[in-house]
Amino acid sequence: MIKLMKLELRKFKIMGYIRGAAIANVIIFGFMMLMSYTPELDGTTVFRDYSTVFSMIDVFTRGTFIIFAAVLLGRFVIDEFNHKTITVLFMYPIKRQKIIAAKLMVVIIFTFICIVISMAFLSTVFLIVNAFTHFVPGELTMTLVMQQVVKLGFNALSACFMALIPLYFGMRKYSLPTTIVSSVIIVMLTCSNNGGGFNLNDFIIIPILLAFAGAAIGYMAIRKIDQIDIN
Amino acid sequence: MEHIVRTNRLTKAFQGQEVVSNVSMNIRKGEIYGFLGPNGAGKTTMMKMMTNLVKPTSGEIEIFGEKLTPDSYHFLGRMGTIIEYPVFYDKLTARENLELHCDYMGYYNKKSIDEALELVNLIDTGKKKVKSFSLGMKQRLGIARAITTKPELLIFDEPINGLDPLGIKELRDVFRMLCKEYGTTLLISSHILGEIEQIADTIGVIQSGRLLREITMAEIHEETTNYIEIITSDCSKAAYVLTDKLQLNNIKVIDNQFVRIYDQHIAQSEITKTLVLNDVVIDSIHKRSSSLEDYFMQVLNGGGVRD
Repeated sequence: MIKLMKLELRKFKIMGYIRGAAIANVIIFGFMMLMSYTPELDGTTVFRDYSTVFSMIDVFTRGTFIIFAAVLLGRFVIDEFNHKTITVLFMYPIKRQKIIAAKLMVVIIFTFICIVISMAFLSTVFLIVNAFTHFVPGELTMTLVMQQVVKLGFNALSACFMALIPLYFGMRKYSLPTTIVSSVIIVMLTCSNNGGGFNLNDFIIIPILLAFAGAAIGYMAIRKIDQIDIN
Repeated sequence: MEHIVRTNRLTKAFQGQEVVSNVSMNIRKGEIYGFLGPNGAGKTTMMKMMTNLVKPTSGEIEIFGEKLTPDSYHFLGRMGTIIEYPVFYDKLTARENLELHCDYMGYYNKKSIDEALELVNLIDTGKKKVKSFSLGMKQRLGIARAITTKPELLIFDEPINGLDPLGIKELRDVFRMLCKEYGTTLLISSHILGEIEQIADTIGVIQSGRLLREITMAEIHEETTNYIEIITSDCSKAAYVLTDKLQLNNIKVIDNQFVRIYDQHIAQSEITKTLVLNDVVIDSIHKRSSSLEDYFMQVLNGGGVRD
């Protein structure tokens, strides 16, 4: 399985996607900086306290990488069907389930790592800048950091499974646009912020249900794959 | 002789419509099997069933002596294939594609990649991505990919599509070489009869999903008639001389350009001598056997009038 996953990474030149993820991080950071300076312009406060900062970082990274995962699913799974390269893959002496499972694992793991690293990176950089500029009022306590680590870790985990949901829609007609649009809808549902720093993802049951739905969709994509005709 | 592929009353229907019906095919070990049929006859579907891409509606397939089940896959490691048209990861180079192929196949003799590329004349493509390859180049790369791992059975669906005449000849030699030197069995489909005729040992003719005939080339040669063809500017005089002087009855004048003599008992030298002595100018004269094309058309037409 590890070998199959390595081959997937080689085949799709994963370095390009890592570069993409890095650029996304820089953009998110720039955006957060802009938001930090807003109060000086119109007097409103975006970052009321440190937990708002973490929840912003959480929303931005999950939102970005759920859509990023849809792009990966498109390239790794849907395009293989679209370009018929799947016929080549399915003519190797390897169980079809294993081939698809390896692809999904790559997407899940890559998304998870991206979200975790981005959260860590953005938090660190923001806190460093904040040490000089003091955007955020209040105090950063160890308890708060620990709480946020657990919360963000859980969110990252649920997000990387949630990110498989677009596969269901995308595989119906092997369509890349459908995949990406459905991921945007998921992001709108779970990462939208109504101004109070509150979103659907904060009801603990919602991310759990969506993560299970994603896992179930992944399982369904694999389960009967060796029975179907590849035309 | 041992069979490498056998199908027994193989049938495939898509949405109730049969595209392959009751095909029982036998491919012997070490032969080149030519699979002939017009477009849409069911050749590709047959090949897809043999590689388990498509599952049969009924009937069974036996490959390397083992019955195929919907989830068998080990046998694929002993095969090389091009089905429909060759597809690649087109953002990679030819070599990268073959390296990936070897890794997936679990074949670690990297030297064979060079050998295969050399064999199909693609060794100099360097960093060029497959995306920018012509159809002919892709076709040749497809063949290189199929043969890199030295499989026992090669399944090629229309392998000479998009190739120039020189490329076709080179491939023909490659196919023969694989068959003779490595003992590889080849299943090659085509609608270009002349090609199949030149390389195949056995021919299967398929039309509308039915296998109309399965016959060895040796048997076809026995069945097809031989004749002597004369090209002359004066056909009527030639015909007169042949019937009058040589008492030949079984002759035919075609388009006022050729005269064909179907009588078997007379020597070519005798005909030439008599015609020259009677002042008939001969542009050319040679012995011909009616081509596979004639035979194929006959089989297909025969097949066409069935119920």
